[in-house]
Amino acid sequence: MKRARKIVQLVSILTFFIIIPVLNKNGIVFISGTLYSFAVGPVWITDPLIGLQTLLTTLSMDRVLLVSVLIPIVFALALGRVFCGWICPQNSLSELADAAAARLGINRLFGPKPSALPRYAVLAAILIAVPLTGLPLASLLSAPGILSAQAARFVYEGTVGLELGLIGLIVLGELALVRRGWCNFLCPVGGFLGLFRWKGTLRVAFAPDADHVCGGCRSCADACRLGLDPMGAALYPLCHNCGDCVAACGAVKLGKKPLMFRRVRGQAE
Amino acid sequence: MFIRSTWAVMNRQPLRPPGALPEREFLAACIRCGKCAQACPYRSIRMAGLLDGVALMGTPVIRARETPCFLCMKCPPVCPSGALKRTVRRKEDVRMGEALIDKKTCLAWEGTLCRSCYDDCPLQNEAIIMDAELRPVVDEKKCVGCGICENVCPTEPAAVTVRPKGGV
Repeated sequence: MKRARKIVQLVSILTFFIIIPVLNKNGIVFISGTLYSFAVGPVWITDPLIGLQTLLTTLSMDRVLLVSVLIPIVFALALGRVFCGWICPQNSLSELADAAAARLGINRLFGPKPSALPRYAVLAAILIAVPLTGLPLASLLSAPGILSAQAARFVYEGTVGLELGLIGLIVLGELALVRRGWCNFLCPVGGFLGLFRWKGTLRVAFAPDADHVCGGCRSCADACRLGLDPMGAALYPLCHNCGDCVAACGAVKLGKKPLMFRRVRGQAE
Repeated sequence: MFIRSTWAVMNRQPLRPPGALPEREFLAACIRCGKCAQACPYRSIRMAGLLDGVALMGTPVIRARETPCFLCMKCPPVCPSGALKRTVRRKEDVRMGEALIDKKTCLAWEGTLCRSCYDDCPLQNEAIIMDAELRPVVDEKKCVGCGICENVCPTEPAAVTVRPKGGV
C-alpha cells in the first residue's frame, strides 16, 4: 500500500508537471489542464473550492463548472481526502521536506496539536473576501493549483511566476515553524474537501478486539506523515486516508490488524 | 517617472484571448488555471506576471507585438469557468480589441507604399481596407482585435496597435 501510494504520487507529479504540458505543447490536447481544473477528453474535473469561488465571484451558475466539481466530491464522499494523500503535489513536497527535516534532526519552533479549526477560519475568510473583492483568492492560495500551473508555465514559457513564492513560504514554514503546518492547519483546498464526509466515507478505524489484538507498538503513529495518532479519537477531518498507518500496523496475530480501513463507523466487519 | 510609468503599465488593460468576458467580470471568473494557454497552438497566450499588476497575475494575456492571436478558436471551448465564453466559435464574432492606426507614423499614411497590415489581416479586405489613396483604414465594426496587424507592422514602435476592448 505504501509503495502503491508512492507510485501514484510520482505518477501524479509526472502527469501534471511534465506529461500534460509537454503533450499540450506538441499539440496533443486530449488531456490538458492543471490541478485547478483539468480535462481528460470530455470529462472535466475542477477543484470544488474553485467551483464555489467562481460561483461567488461571478454570482452566476456555469453549468459546465458545476458538473465538473462532482467527480472530486463523489471521490471525497466515498474515499475521504485521498486527493491530499495520493495526488496533491504539495503534500508530496511537504512529505519530502518533513522526511529531510527528520533526517537532519530539525526541531520546529512550535509544536501545536494538529487541528482543523484554523483551516476552517482560512476557508471562511477566503469565502467572505472572494465576493467582496471579486478576486479568485482561493486560486491564489491553492498550493496544488499553483504548483501545477507554474510547472506548465515553465514548460511553455521557460519562466515561472511570483505565485511560487507561496510554495516557498509553505516549505520554509513547515521546516522551521510548525511540522506539516500547511496541510494540517491552513490549506483551504484540503479544508473544503474535508467537508464532504458522511458516515459511509472510508475511514481508518482502530478497533482492537479479542481477535485483532493491539500490541501497543505505536508503529502506526510513527508511520503517519501528518503526525496524527491513528489510535486516538480525533483522526478526522485531518486524516488523508493515505494508508501508511494501516500498512505499518504491526499485528500481534498474523493478518489480524487492529487498525483497518472501514466504511461505517464502529461496526465490526 | 519610474513609478508613473510602472503605474501606467499596471493599469493598462491587457489584450485577452478571444471570447473573454468584459475585463472586470473576466478577472472575477478566471480561475488562473492556464488551460487556455495549454490549448493555444501558437503560444500566443501568456500568463500575466507581477508587472502586469497583482490582480492580473496568472491570467491569460496576449502580447500582440510578440505573438498575436491567430483566431484558431481553440481556447474558448476549453475554459472551465466560462471566463472565456465557450459559445464564441467563429472568428468573426470575436471582439478582443480594435486596431488603431497612428497616421503620423504609418508608412502608407506618410506616403511610402506599405500594405503589411492589409495583407496579413485575417478578415481580408474587411477589417482593414485600403482607401482610394492606398492607405489602410480600420473598419471598427469588423475588426476583431487579433493583433496580427500590430505584429507585422514594419515601423518601430508599431504604427498600428490593438486597443483591448474587454468583451467577447
